[in-house]
Amino acid sequence: MSSSLGTPLVTLQATLPWRSVLNGARLVAFAALLAFVWSAVQVGLFRGDLVNAGGWALVQQFFAAALRPELSTDFLLLTLEATLVTFAYAIGGLALSLVIGSLGGLLSSEVWWQARRPKARLLSSPWLIARGALVVPRAIHEAIWGLFLVRILGLDPLVAILALGIPFGAITAKVFSEILDETPRDALRALLNSGVPPARAMLYGLLPRALPNLISYSFYRLECAIRSATVLGVIGAGGLGYQILLSLQSLRYQEMWTLMAALLVLSGLTDWLSARIRQALGAPTRLELNAGADCASEAAARARATSGSRTLLGLLAAALVLTPLAFWYVQPDPSRLFAPHTTMLLGDMLRQMFPPDLSPANALTLLNLAAQTLAMSVFAIALAGLFGILLAYPAARPARHTRRAMFTYGIARAFLLFCRAIPAPVWALLILFIIFPGPLPGALAIGVHNLGILGRLIAEAVENADKRPVRALQHAGVPSAQAFLYGGLPMTLPQSLAYIFYRWENCMRETVIIGFVGAGGLGRLLTEQLSSFDYSGVTATLIMLLILTFAVDVLSNTARRAIR
Amino acid sequence: MQPLPIFELRRVTVRYGALTALQDVSLRIEAGERVALIGPSGAGKSTLLGVLNGSIAPTSGEVRLLGQNPARLSARALRHVQRQIGTIYQQFNLVPNLSVIHNVNAGHLGRWSLAKAVLSLVVPLEREAAVRALENVGIADKLYERTANLSGGQQQRVAIARVLVQNPVAILADEPISSVDPERSREIMTLLRALCDRFDKTLVVSLHALEYAYSHCDRIVGLREGRVQFDLPTDQVTPAMMEALYRIRA
Repeated sequence: MSSSLGTPLVTLQATLPWRSVLNGARLVAFAALLAFVWSAVQVGLFRGDLVNAGGWALVQQFFAAALRPELSTDFLLLTLEATLVTFAYAIGGLALSLVIGSLGGLLSSEVWWQARRPKARLLSSPWLIARGALVVPRAIHEAIWGLFLVRILGLDPLVAILALGIPFGAITAKVFSEILDETPRDALRALLNSGVPPARAMLYGLLPRALPNLISYSFYRLECAIRSATVLGVIGAGGLGYQILLSLQSLRYQEMWTLMAALLVLSGLTDWLSARIRQALGAPTRLELNAGADCASEAAARARATSGSRTLLGLLAAALVLTPLAFWYVQPDPSRLFAPHTTMLLGDMLRQMFPPDLSPANALTLLNLAAQTLAMSVFAIALAGLFGILLAYPAARPARHTRRAMFTYGIARAFLLFCRAIPAPVWALLILFIIFPGPLPGALAIGVHNLGILGRLIAEAVENADKRPVRALQHAGVPSAQAFLYGGLPMTLPQSLAYIFYRWENCMRETVIIGFVGAGGLGRLLTEQLSSFDYSGVTATLIMLLILTFAVDVLSNTARRAIR
Repeated sequence: MQPLPIFELRRVTVRYGALTALQDVSLRIEAGERVALIGPSGAGKSTLLGVLNGSIAPTSGEVRLLGQNPARLSARALRHVQRQIGTIYQQFNLVPNLSVIHNVNAGHLGRWSLAKAVLSLVVPLEREAAVRALENVGIADKLYERTANLSGGQQQRVAIARVLVQNPVAILADEPISSVDPERSREIMTLLRALCDRFDKTLVVSLHALEYAYSHCDRIVGLREGRVQFDLPTDQVTPAMMEALYRIRA
């Protein structure tokens, strides 16, 4: 009997077949590695003379100032006002984007058109036309919208609200349509089959079911809107971003820390509130990518009984109060939209924009800069992805609230918040203290900012992952590092990678705003062209940017499917 | 003159690509009948019910729902016919995160204006009608409960209440007891039969459990591989016919 104790339960007799080494996921991994090496070369990581040794003194001053932030009453009042302006822009822009997003989302959803015209054949797909129409406003960064609109409408808060609302509206429309299309249709079909007209059938059969996901995504957009409102401030719209830029350029670091603290509080509160509301609605993640989305959220919805409807009413009330308040606070002037002067300027600009400057010389420049821009985005996302994954695990709420675990958790969370609350252009200016201008500081800035966003998204995926497989390993006596490698990591990796590829698209868009502070790529060219009123050049650059954005979009989607 | 049949199918065939779901089916169902559709999985029971509620158009053959040909109707006119036909589904097809009253009120939607439908989601309207419907199915106390929190049997009762509120001429039920435990199955079938008797509805129900076809229906239609094998009053269906219907082809 005793001899059987050492005998393994499983014995191998035949030679095992090798699994094919090549599969979709590995190809993606290999391509990603190649892309990373290429991007590192392109952004100039291996060139000498990267670090500006003279800058360290500035860095020291900058961090020393963190201990003594500017706290005079006057400056605190200014900070408060700037914070309110940024928040009001975010709310105004978000309100506009939700209106655009709801209408656009409905019109570009397959389910709406199929409910309306059940007999139509698949060949005619009006939702594809609607989706196509949303592609261009989506691909143009809100900062570019801002620069265009300011030329036409003049300096007015309206510019900030429109610049946020238009691209956000198009993005929201895309996501809303996807949410609607992925919501189970059985109840909708039951109503349609009993002769209920489409609008009413959607209202009772589909919308209530999609609502937790729609609201949860809207709150994610609020977090994004605050970040973008700050960025718009950097390019001149006022508010926190603008004040930070002013303080930074006049080397008043103490002021800057006060402003950054305000930004941290604003972002932190939004994040916290949005997490609470998602919990009350039973929609666990702010944005769901890849497989299993509906099952997960429905299970959670079932678990959390009826607090949802009270939360909904509260949200509705808050939206009805906050939106007019935000508009009142910044006082946009909508009459500018219809002023004859506006029409004239728009006409002038459009005439100069076409035909675009596609001369061979310009085309060559564009191609070169496009490669540089692409490299910046790849380098940035590689950096953000790697450190994002590493930091996400300590930043996920620990299962056991020991003092040490909670401490690490708090530090990791705070660090991620800091990274994402500071807008990428401000990061770029800080990094330029110590690294010579060029694509590298730009890529680093986007990387650091996105690291904060990614770390948070992945941490949430870690928190929502099924804990049982890891617990099973731990109960079998597997040390925690190995349990992580065989349980925790593989459970969350697909979701994390999906987030990384998704954020890559955002990094691509953000290279533009980095260009505005002189960090290279197509963005820098665009800034130069805009300031010299070279509109036919601007159009050519925008076309190049659009092509690049779509290419990244397609690649990211393909990769996400390959690893699913 | 003979009264118009509720449903009439003449040589109906439904094909999905290469797959033939229904083959040359002719069927006539009069007002007040209680018809069981039986047959093995994939025999075409659900497709037949889809044809009967106007959601599936036949590839060939002719359909009359309440005397009207759905293929000739505009979308709006088709909806008018469909309002007279209520369907109960195996998976209930309710919205899980709405409270029961809204799922029941969804039965009104064919008659309600859009504005009224929106308003009722905020302040539930026509509560008496909803309570009466829920009393009829025996769960009046669940009016404001979240639908997802109910058991399978209770959810099927909500779906029946929705059909009662819709108040159609005919009720179709697609395997209404397949997602319900055996205890509740008899209750649901008895309830369905009793409600049809009381409110004078025509009933067509597809079933896996043969005993309920015998005990709760007057007429049995046997389907196999998309064809009608037999269509007889319940007392004329023999065990041998049943066996032939379900026999696995060698």
